[in-house]
Amino acid sequence: MTFILWQGVRHPGDHHGVTQATAILALVIVTALAFDFTNGFHDTANAMATTIATKALKPKTAVALSGVLNLVGAFLSVQVALTVTNAVVKIQNSDGTPKGSLTADGGEALLLIILAGLVGGIIWNLLTWLLGLPSSSSHALFGGLIGATVAGLGWAGVKWNGDGSKLDGVVGKVLLPAVLSPVIAGLVAAVGTWVIFKVVAGIALRYTEQGFKWGQIGSASLVSLAHGTNDAQKTMGVITLALIASGHWTDTKNIPLWVKVACAVAIALGTYLGGWRIIRTLGKGLVEIAPAQGMAAQSASAAVILASSHLGFALSTTHVATGSVLGSGVGRPAGEVRWRVAGRMVLAWLITLPAAGIVGALMWWAGHLIGGLAGALVVFLVLIASATAMWLRSRRIPVGEHNVNDDWVPPAEQARLPERVAATVAN
Amino acid sequence: MNNLGFALDGAWRVLLAGLALGAGLPILFALGIRSLAWSAAGPAPRVAGRVAGYGLFAIVVLGIALGITFVVATGFGKALSFEHLYPTIVPKH
Repeated sequence: MTFILWQGVRHPGDHHGVTQATAILALVIVTALAFDFTNGFHDTANAMATTIATKALKPKTAVALSGVLNLVGAFLSVQVALTVTNAVVKIQNSDGTPKGSLTADGGEALLLIILAGLVGGIIWNLLTWLLGLPSSSSHALFGGLIGATVAGLGWAGVKWNGDGSKLDGVVGKVLLPAVLSPVIAGLVAAVGTWVIFKVVAGIALRYTEQGFKWGQIGSASLVSLAHGTNDAQKTMGVITLALIASGHWTDTKNIPLWVKVACAVAIALGTYLGGWRIIRTLGKGLVEIAPAQGMAAQSASAAVILASSHLGFALSTTHVATGSVLGSGVGRPAGEVRWRVAGRMVLAWLITLPAAGIVGALMWWAGHLIGGLAGALVVFLVLIASATAMWLRSRRIPVGEHNVNDDWVPPAEQARLPERVAATVAN
Repeated sequence: MNNLGFALDGAWRVLLAGLALGAGLPILFALGIRSLAWSAAGPAPRVAGRVAGYGLFAIVVLGIALGITFVVATGFGKALSFEHLYPTIVPKH
């Protein structure tokens, strides 16, 4: 302590700069783990919504299984995802090291961009969770980073279109896959559902119920595992980038063990918490799901996610899972899809990137104008205030394991709609 | 080639693989359930139905095992290669 004080007296400027950057780094790490946590509960639905809706697993069992598999998946990703931001913004070199122009003063410039971007992603994730909308966590993260980069480095800091040698940039890595992946997953699920219903038509329920229950659990587990491998890596990459920028880590081939453990635990805990509002929309809101449909939808999701990651085609688990559920509703004979709910969801997808971007940009400006550690603290406090506000708002109409499977249209209302009752009976 | 070209090129491959595994395997699974139900439907158990049913389930389990192998291999920086028809784990390049 004396030594540090003495140093501080000798080089007040240097010491101050380093301490300040370290404090900002701590805020970035906490915020990144918070994002990872929201990423977990936002995406529980992708794997488990249909399994919970068809009662193949009890709600708590489903989220616990998904959480454990996310944890395992996160540890399986030995590969380094250090270059995760390179898809959309130009703050890193191709080997993963931060751009030299951003690393002065203990990397404060880069840390502020990352912090503002993460806050943009979290706030949008929380808002869509509050509204029960399954929007993509990767889009929220990328949107926040893009906004913060535009604010900090100008429009040229964003990699919009890549260089034409491979699928790259905002268009290639984010926008095109977002349009194509739900359609692909929807087609696969629709074909699967349609044929399965033909195959098992007329078989006693005791055979199909039990069989499809296991089919659903298996396919949902695969989605959870793949999710842990893909999504936890993004946060690991972001934290390691921040560590390198501030001079606390130099190895671009490895990620510190504690970062890996912290990210894996954060995403698993988030998954276990369960984003019940989103699970409800995806499991009950879009379509009424029968066990056969659940299995078809979940298998379609698993196959599309794994095939696309095999082929290097980046996509969002959320878009795939939602497309699959919709497709299974379309493919089921006499199935009913609530297109209004689907429309709301697509609207949320469209505005995720710009909305998270605007929050990210505002946060960067706020942090930059105030400057230094105070600026970063203000950004962090805005995050805590808005997160608390949204959590309190969610308490007014709580959704949890107790009511996640309630009828989407309350029975009282159904009675007032005779044609709807007739349709339900006919099914 | 531009981004749209790359995306469409990737998309049809994902669609084909998705249809084969994501729709094909659950359909085989449903056929397996149908076979088991058929084997138990008559007055005497039909052995052929049971054999076909469990055979189909075995194929589905292999498919899932392939999926898990893929996730694990990718995590460890390896790739699955299908050049020998049966999948092998190779270093990623």
